[in-house]
Amino acid sequence: MIKIRLFCESGMSTSILVQRMRDEAAKRGIEVDVKAFGKVAFDAETNGIDAALLAPQIGFQLDNFKKISEPKGVPTAAISMMDYGMMNGANVLDQVLGMIKK
Amino acid sequence: MKNIMQKIIFPAVTKFINTKAMVAVKDGTLFMVPLTMIGSIFLLLANFPYKPFTDFLQEIGMREMFNQVSGATYSIMALIAVAGITYTYVKNEGFEPMSGAVISISTFILLLRPEVVTKGGETVGDVIPKMWTAGQGIICSIIIGLLVGYVYSLLLRKKIRIKMPSSVPEGVSNSFASLIPGLIIITGAVVVYSFFHFALNTTLVEFIYKVIQAPMQSMSDSLGAAILVALMISLFWWFGVHGTNVVGSMVYTLFQANTLANLALLNSGKAVTLANGAHIVNEQFYNQFITVTGAGITIGLVINFCFLCKATQYKQLGRMTIIPGLFNINEPVLFGTPIVLNPHLIVPFIAVPIVSVVLTYTSIATGLVPPFKGVSVPWTCPPVISGALIGGWRAALLQAVILVLSVLIYMPFVRKMDKTALEQENASSCAE
Repeated sequence: MIKIRLFCESGMSTSILVQRMRDEAAKRGIEVDVKAFGKVAFDAETNGIDAALLAPQIGFQLDNFKKISEPKGVPTAAISMMDYGMMNGANVLDQVLGMIKK
Repeated sequence: MKNIMQKIIFPAVTKFINTKAMVAVKDGTLFMVPLTMIGSIFLLLANFPYKPFTDFLQEIGMREMFNQVSGATYSIMALIAVAGITYTYVKNEGFEPMSGAVISISTFILLLRPEVVTKGGETVGDVIPKMWTAGQGIICSIIIGLLVGYVYSLLLRKKIRIKMPSSVPEGVSNSFASLIPGLIIITGAVVVYSFFHFALNTTLVEFIYKVIQAPMQSMSDSLGAAILVALMISLFWWFGVHGTNVVGSMVYTLFQANTLANLALLNSGKAVTLANGAHIVNEQFYNQFITVTGAGITIGLVINFCFLCKATQYKQLGRMTIIPGLFNINEPVLFGTPIVLNPHLIVPFIAVPIVSVVLTYTSIATGLVPPFKGVSVPWTCPPVISGALIGGWRAALLQAVILVLSVLIYMPFVRKMDKTALEQENASSCAE
């Protein structure tokens, strides 16, 4: 089970992407637990997860969020604007799989 | 230009909105949101735009009951803010937050005038004046909330607390931890209160309202300010930064105060008109007329994608983004089109919100649409419905007009993009 958490301003727009990622994972037969949250919940929701992703519009704060998640050993990255805009669940899932491998 | 933004402006903005103080204000004032929504429901009922219904409510005494809800939600916004801000600040500093919030509530009430003057001129003592725990106290509540949070955390960090022998259970010694910081803060507050009482014959809250908040509110309540806000939101988003958040964190509290002022007018029994000092630019103006259907009022773009475009990429994007757009979520449009850093779309992306601002401002200023009374709806509420809720059919109609304008203004730009995309698509399909 791969636990992934997505964060944007208030967890609204990321919740669209969450559904796409679940569908894509189901298609590939990967067990995932994907949820979206507002960035306020970043600290509380990054415990014991495999990867944290930021929506591009808060991507400029990546360094600040990494300060919270890296001590917990949670790989953290921003989603590319293009994948986010097209709500490309497959690409973002690939991105997560790449992050976990490292 | 892009380099300047990314090397200088973004880091500066990030630094500013991530300062402890800004984070505490932003997250702390979020505690107000559920209360304003709940208060709105009852406010809407008590002022339902159908007179026989409100007359009926009045007759059976229910209107008064609904106003009781307003008095316990809207009217204590500053109290909620002061507690929420201190709570968030202390929590982020890593200390037990509730004790700090309790002290800040106490401090805020201490700094209020303990009496009210009735309409008949009689002074009634031993009260908490709701006039100052509502919108008029909001800026002061931010200042007090931050100051108490800062001093409280500082004192705890310096371990200025009563030391208990190790045999005392931890729960017991913790309950004394806030005692000394609290004593110091409350004592300081008494000194401040006495100074304003004896030297200036006023209170800190009233003083800050007069000297800081009122001028800032009247500045925010102008066409120029509204245009500037709309422009900055679009500009930040164009560079891919959550503009609504960045700009909102600086001005939203003022717009809230403007709304609460209109509400106070309504509750005092006066008509909410410009002549009585109602504010035009407020929370509703911001949520339902500057950022409706998302920053840049992109619904027009999306509708063009759906019904005008022939290129597959735009047709697909339109289908995907129209539903979120109706709920005022447009990140997929911003990044998928993309609008971000796209020189072809910067003009309508900035122009549409500004057109909306000018139109809305003049509609209210000329009396075509009444100023918004105070009903607030969640920002995700779809347009036209949200307009009807906050300002009746006139506001709903105004929103509809703005949506149509958005379609028209985006149209020529979309046409051009569609043509280019179509040529590319044809070229690539021929190549196959």
